[in-house]
Amino acid sequence: MTSRNAAPDAPAAGGRAGHPWRKRPARFSMSVMDAAGPVFRVESPAAPLRRGRDAIGRPVRIAAPIVRTPPSIRRLAMTNQPPVRPEWTTTIDPILQKELERYVLVTNWEKLLGMVDVVYNWGRRSSLWPLGFGLACCAIEMICTASSRFDIARFGAEVFRGSPRQADLMIVSGTVTKTMMPLIARLYDQMPEPKYVMAMGACASGGGPFKEGYNVVSGVDKHLPVDVYVPGCPPTPQALLNGLIALQRKIDGETIVQAPWYRGGVERDVPIPALGPDLVDLRTVELAAERTAQGLIEKREAGLEKPRLIPAPTADPVDPPPAEAPSGKPVKKPKQAVARPSAVWLGDAGLAELADRLNAELGAGTAAIVQAGLLIPAEKLVDAARFLRDRNPIRYDYLASLQSVHYQDCIEVNYHLDSTSRPGSLILLRVRVAEAEGEGELPSLYHVYRGADLQEREVYDMMGVRFVGHPELKRILMWEGFAYHPLRKDYLEPYYEAPTKVFASRVDEGFGRHVRAEELNPHGTNLKIPQGFKDWASLSGSNDPKGEAPLPGGVQVEELESDQFQVSMGPQHPSTHGVFRMNVRLDGETIVGLKPVMGYMHRNHEKIGERNTFLMNFPFTDRLDYLTSMGNNFGYALAIEQLMGDEAKPPERAEYIRVIMAELTRVASHMWSVGFLLNDLGAFFTPALYAIEERELILDLFEWASGSRMMCNYFRFGGVAADLPPGWLDRCRAIVEDRLDRKIDELDRYLSGNEILLDRTKGVGVLSAEDAVGYSTGGPVLRASGVAYDVRRAAPYGIYDRFEFAVPTGRAGDLYDRYYIRILEMRESVRILKQAVRKIPEGPVLAGKKSYQIKVPAGEAYGRVENPKGELGFYVVADGSAAAYRYHVRSPSFINLTALERMCLGRTIADVVGILGSLDIVLGEVDR
Amino acid sequence: MTLWVLIGIVIKILMIVGITQGTVAYLILVERKIAAYAQDRIGPNRCGAQFGLPAALLQPLADGAKMLLKEDVVPKYVTKPLYILAPWIAIVTAMIGFAVVPFGPVGPNQLIDFQIAPNVDMGLLYVLAVGSLAVYGVILAGWASNNKYAFIGGLRSSAQLISYELPLGMSILGMLLLAGSLDMNQVIAWQSQNAWGVLVQPLGFILFFTSAFAETNRLPFDLPESEQELVGGFHTEYSAMKFGMFFLGEYLHIITVSFITVILFWGGWHLPFLGLTPESSGLIDTLLKVGIITGKVFLAILFIMWIRWTLPRFRYDQLMDLAWKSMIPLALINLVATAGIVQLVRTYWN
Ligand code: SF4
Repeated sequence: MTSRNAAPDAPAAGGRAGHPWRKRPARFSMSVMDAAGPVFRVESPAAPLRRGRDAIGRPVRIAAPIVRTPPSIRRLAMTNQPPVRPEWTTTIDPILQKELERYVLVTNWEKLLGMVDVVYNWGRRSSLWPLGFGLACCAIEMICTASSRFDIARFGAEVFRGSPRQADLMIVSGTVTKTMMPLIARLYDQMPEPKYVMAMGACASGGGPFKEGYNVVSGVDKHLPVDVYVPGCPPTPQALLNGLIALQRKIDGETIVQAPWYRGGVERDVPIPALGPDLVDLRTVELAAERTAQGLIEKREAGLEKPRLIPAPTADPVDPPPAEAPSGKPVKKPKQAVARPSAVWLGDAGLAELADRLNAELGAGTAAIVQAGLLIPAEKLVDAARFLRDRNPIRYDYLASLQSVHYQDCIEVNYHLDSTSRPGSLILLRVRVAEAEGEGELPSLYHVYRGADLQEREVYDMMGVRFVGHPELKRILMWEGFAYHPLRKDYLEPYYEAPTKVFASRVDEGFGRHVRAEELNPHGTNLKIPQGFKDWASLSGSNDPKGEAPLPGGVQVEELESDQFQVSMGPQHPSTHGVFRMNVRLDGETIVGLKPVMGYMHRNHEKIGERNTFLMNFPFTDRLDYLTSMGNNFGYALAIEQLMGDEAKPPERAEYIRVIMAELTRVASHMWSVGFLLNDLGAFFTPALYAIEERELILDLFEWASGSRMMCNYFRFGGVAADLPPGWLDRCRAIVEDRLDRKIDELDRYLSGNEILLDRTKGVGVLSAEDAVGYSTGGPVLRASGVAYDVRRAAPYGIYDRFEFAVPTGRAGDLYDRYYIRILEMRESVRILKQAVRKIPEGPVLAGKKSYQIKVPAGEAYGRVENPKGELGFYVVADGSAAAYRYHVRSPSFINLTALERMCLGRTIADVVGILGSLDIVLGEVDR
Repeated sequence: MTLWVLIGIVIKILMIVGITQGTVAYLILVERKIAAYAQDRIGPNRCGAQFGLPAALLQPLADGAKMLLKEDVVPKYVTKPLYILAPWIAIVTAMIGFAVVPFGPVGPNQLIDFQIAPNVDMGLLYVLAVGSLAVYGVILAGWASNNKYAFIGGLRSSAQLISYELPLGMSILGMLLLAGSLDMNQVIAWQSQNAWGVLVQPLGFILFFTSAFAETNRLPFDLPESEQELVGGFHTEYSAMKFGMFFLGEYLHIITVSFITVILFWGGWHLPFLGLTPESSGLIDTLLKVGIITGKVFLAILFIMWIRWTLPRFRYDQLMDLAWKSMIPLALINLVATAGIVQLVRTYWN
């Protein structure tokens, strides 16, 4: 079905005289089977891949545009310009000759080369093995592309290789962060030629929704040559397949003569960018140094409007002094929200009593009530925490969340404490430290609540507050050596434009003109380095400032020589579910030390959230834990609704819809996690793909209701965005009543009793109930250890108090329990769903009118939901403006990781992979 | 006369090398298809569609073409001679095992001897010995790569292969006692006259087949290259055709163990009620025998592949426990019991 013909009308593009057969690049047409079956033709020019330079002088590969000639013109051209015939053919019938030339005979060099090219290209196009690594949300769709519904295997491209040495195609599937970029460049360099790069999704193509983030690379093509861009956020699996077909067409157009990888002297490796004070591309380092020294960034920032600082809340709520609007007019005094730390909490009376008790026990001045929180002086913090944990009648044994806010006069670090024995009695502790950068110092709660470990490191990283007594206070999301503490209000990102959106530069673009963020920055890219930085010569791509593994306590360095060695698992590793990394120290196969290293997916969610208007932030919450976007929406909506008060009370129908969506999400997420846990245990994708099948059905429901499979953006303050489409509930009922139970039974039947699974999971990675609470784990991890703590019960939100469901708990706290608890929870979710789809009433789905601008009263709120991964909390400080003053996400995946080391020590590598799988982390949420 | 024999052998060698290589290439496609069916997918179906062929029949060729033309990276930090040698060891040791494997009837009165070296007395020993050489390929690859994952993979595989040699060897002893020969044709002949090995030696069969999984690095025993833990295991650093050679070696190994399974336990070319005897030598009989034996081998291979896409993986220490604490003792019991019974029967029956 293939015809090869030299198209005579091809331009003499390559035009290198001397070799007659090189005058015209050959062109081929090849039939390609379409997904739907019909055959269509693809015309592709012979790979005029040129090497060129882009705007700022970096070498790039430029593919000539695909020129398609309509067949009619081609035929015409053919008759006008008969190809030169070799002499010995004169005796053949001219028509036959023409046919022969067209289809069979190799009559000249060009054709011979053409045939070689056909075979050469065909081998590569049919066997594109992708590198098995996924960055962010897009990676989930990439995995779905391999699932039975889409099946990338049809193209022979299902062989995802873990090792770059064996891969042909790098699918950059997700946000490329600065922390990750050096590793991506290294992986690219490790791939053998010929290699291709596909930028999947808006983020990889150009930064996407996270472009303005300080840790986000504005498109992977800033560093690597990209062959195909797949638009979308995320691109659906079909779009990815389309990208693959586009790549195949591109390959069809290449010729062996012009293939750059066979040319001597062509350096195709990319230099690995260096993590210095910022990510520095070594190809442009001189330019960057020059512009930095000129202080261009500082000059530009001087002229910009800075974010406003508000004073910290005080005991008697005096009104904050009216801030000056840029125009000089005093701003109207913002409305104040009811002061309460969360919707369900200890209550004013209880708090007053608690403050008195603290003052009586630990001396006067220990606790003062400030805006429904207890203000505690830094030096009393540890004592107060110990008292609350051990001696208070309500044992506050669970550090729910820890975050910091940068106020005018101080940095406040605050702690949400809850009790697993008396759930729902949440309190808020406030501690304040000096505001100046690097001055703040606090005693660490590491030894009281182990769960403070990673969260304190995060505060240190983001705000620069030091925690005295923390055994290993290092940066966690950014790298050591990064020049700033990015969540401070006085840090402006390289692409900073204005304190809140919509940016003025984007409004007045005018016809035919738009402003790219790159144009605003003097470096022309997402780069900002303090003017004083001089040490350019020391920058090198081989430094790894993130990976310098801290030594686990008690291990002597000399021992390293004998029989221990360190392995860095990740960030590109088949087991890490994204770009997570574990620095592991091994003795044989036994783990003697393990440190989680994260931040490779840190895309500045919180900083961006402080500039988004409240409504605008919904789609960003989708991208936290991208497997559970509906659940994330729920938590965020709750937090803001808490501030808005009764005005935003969702109508009945909306409440039901919310529960249905949240529980469907739980089923989908648990399906995924059970499947991939099995994958981690070595059952190569089969259980995972079966589990995904059911998830796809649920995603269809989501898409139907919200318009998107994964990034639903469906909740609104006071309801949901749109009513369910007609027929939706019937289909949902059908799935809930008939399919889900059966599928769960099936998983249970085939997996739970499997001998190997039992061997691999029983007694592995045990986390005692005490530890589980102490480490602040949440969700299935906590419950598997036997602690019946479920936010839906502990602090009921929405209408969860109306449903009958059990909170299943495990007994042993081992890998098996963490696996099985998810099966049980899915059953409970189905139970809730059945009740909800039966009882859902008709009615409106949104309180009030739809509007773009939402007034949120000033105040603090902590909205918490039981997400599939655990307690998801949104801590918001509003100052009455259009955007949040401070926006923090208590992410269950992140905090659950605190316990990873504890569970892994003494186990083997294989166990670590399983244990990590049982935590079910999602990197978008870990690193935010 | 000897010259003709020699030429015949050379032809046989060439044919077997060609056929097995081709088979292996297609086995990879079969595996991918099986994976697809196991996972409710379609699997490769495009490649070759341009030329009107169904079911991605050209996929192996495309993969091969791509691999051959890919840049062959030899990283700077590897131990070069060993790094280059390792894949050759893997593939050569896998190939030379075929020297004594009977693909069909063998004997003085047959049309052709379907065996490169016919009637070797210690054929089985040779296969086992050569098969265990393959571990050198894996260990050297892991060691020479100078990569931690590869190194762990290499270590694991050396321990694993050495451990499973024992039950593998011992589990067949019972069968050999019964047949009274190490020559595989004798074993088949014995089975065709008495009963299939799997019936008289069920325990031996189970032990052998299980160890065979471990010997061939297949799930649930694929620890040396366990993807979720060690990325690529011992072949992490190998690219292009060197990696392809490990791949081929692995599948060649599968063919070998499948042949041995069929020959020792599934009666070789024998099928009940067909009336085939070791002496039957007509053209049809010969073709039947060849067909039956390859058919059975194909079934064994399918089974091995099916398992891969079904089960999770053991952990390293569990694997070792299984070998040393269960399989070896069981193999010993099996051997002693068989020996006792054979002795009793020989003494008191005749
Ligand atoms: S935000 Fe997520 S889904 Fe959207 S393009 Fe980026 S990685 Fe893909």
